[in-house]
Amino acid sequence: MQIVVDLNRCQGYAQCVFLAPQVFELHGEEALLYVPTVPDGREEHVRQAVAACPVQAITAGEQAGGDSGAR
Amino acid sequence: MPADASSADTLFRRITDYANRADPYPLYAELREHKVARQEDGKYLVGTYDEIAALLHDPRVSSDLRNRAEPDPSIMPPEGPPPSFIGRDDPEHDRLRRLAMRPFGPPHSPGRIDALRGDIARISGQLADGLRGKSSFDLVDDFAFPLPVTVICDLLGVPSEDIPQVHTWADTVVSGLDFPPDEDPGARRHAAYEARSAMGQYLGELAEKRRHSPTDDMLSALANEDGPEGALTQQELMVTTVLLLIAGHETTVNLITNGMLTLLRNPEALERLRAEPELIPSAVEELLRYEPPVQFLPQRTPLADIEVAGVTIPKGVPLILVLAAGSRDPLRFPDPDRFDPARRDNQHFGFGSGIHNCFGAPLARLETQIALTTLINLLDGPRLLKDPPEYRNSPVLRGPRHLLLGQGKH
Repeated sequence: MQIVVDLNRCQGYAQCVFLAPQVFELHGEEALLYVPTVPDGREEHVRQAVAACPVQAITAGEQAGGDSGAR
Repeated sequence: MPADASSADTLFRRITDYANRADPYPLYAELREHKVARQEDGKYLVGTYDEIAALLHDPRVSSDLRNRAEPDPSIMPPEGPPPSFIGRDDPEHDRLRRLAMRPFGPPHSPGRIDALRGDIARISGQLADGLRGKSSFDLVDDFAFPLPVTVICDLLGVPSEDIPQVHTWADTVVSGLDFPPDEDPGARRHAAYEARSAMGQYLGELAEKRRHSPTDDMLSALANEDGPEGALTQQELMVTTVLLLIAGHETTVNLITNGMLTLLRNPEALERLRAEPELIPSAVEELLRYEPPVQFLPQRTPLADIEVAGVTIPKGVPLILVLAAGSRDPLRFPDPDRFDPARRDNQHFGFGSGIHNCFGAPLARLETQIALTTLINLLDGPRLLKDPPEYRNSPVLRGPRHLLLGQGKH
């Protein structure tokens, strides 16, 4: 599973960091860092993070940018 | 001035009328037609998505009741400690919220909520096991209430033997938010104020103990904070932990209960979730849009005259943002009155938006996702025994008081 985050949309609500801290990380108070290729076994956490983003900035799929999104 | 019972300036009275608790949505549709509705008593209601979103991000809108032109003693006692961060504006809101966040989430404690998954699943499983073989039960008392309460008390560090007392206080505080018709609100508000003080006192003393012998809970972390911004003062710690405990208590209960109610009213959605459990996270977001536990924000005040949809809302008046109406705005959500667990582009107001966006949102999400998964898997052909159920009084924190379910063979 791969993810892309639209960092122009991201407003630093950090909901993804709470739900998948192995994949998303806050650098300082609001800059978001993430691992584009999701570690095995963390797919469910990422689906939760995708759904929880208040500005819908995260896309996840088998191939980044592909249409097999988690949503 | 006698008002026509169906005119827009009585909407708030009708929304808060207990007779409309089971289905306020037609009233919200009526509100959206007006976008902004001035009420008979000078309150302003806003119910459309774009207008609410703009106001939630507008620095001219205050959350601090001390900015009301006419103090409303019914929602704010004339004396007592300053409000918690939910009722403050920046920069104080930001400082208090940041300090409260240090032991709860990123950037300082990114794994705290994630680490609760196992505990939440275990407690959910135990509660659901207790329902096995029962042909009927109350989902609220037997499941939806004990789960979040146990979790928030554990997280903060409230010993289990004190939970009943804490619950009594929390109930009294929340009923202070009720708007029962034909009742002088004085006594109810006073009781709420007393309960809030007693709870603050209790949490303050508990934090004091943890200051000397810390454990791994949030109270210990808050009491022993030594970050660059210093710690919360003892009074700030008291009002902040009271807020977290009450908010962690009363809202998730309604989200879980509204969730099962909605799924049982929409059996095809329930079947779909059984077959596709990976849809649970998006189903919870849809619940937050479709049946949100917080229906409106009653405590905002403009700091200047603000024009909204051609109406000037004057400085200092009560401004009420009806989030549940915005989340069903057809201009924002296609087919908004349909519950669609796979809905995309679901930027709902279930947790508000902007700087006051729900502090506990990640915990509420996780609890509800796990709770609904557990219930869907373990209940045996659940069905509603009473629809609509009996609702709690509050039009703000709206949810069933009891939800009687049956299961097994008819």
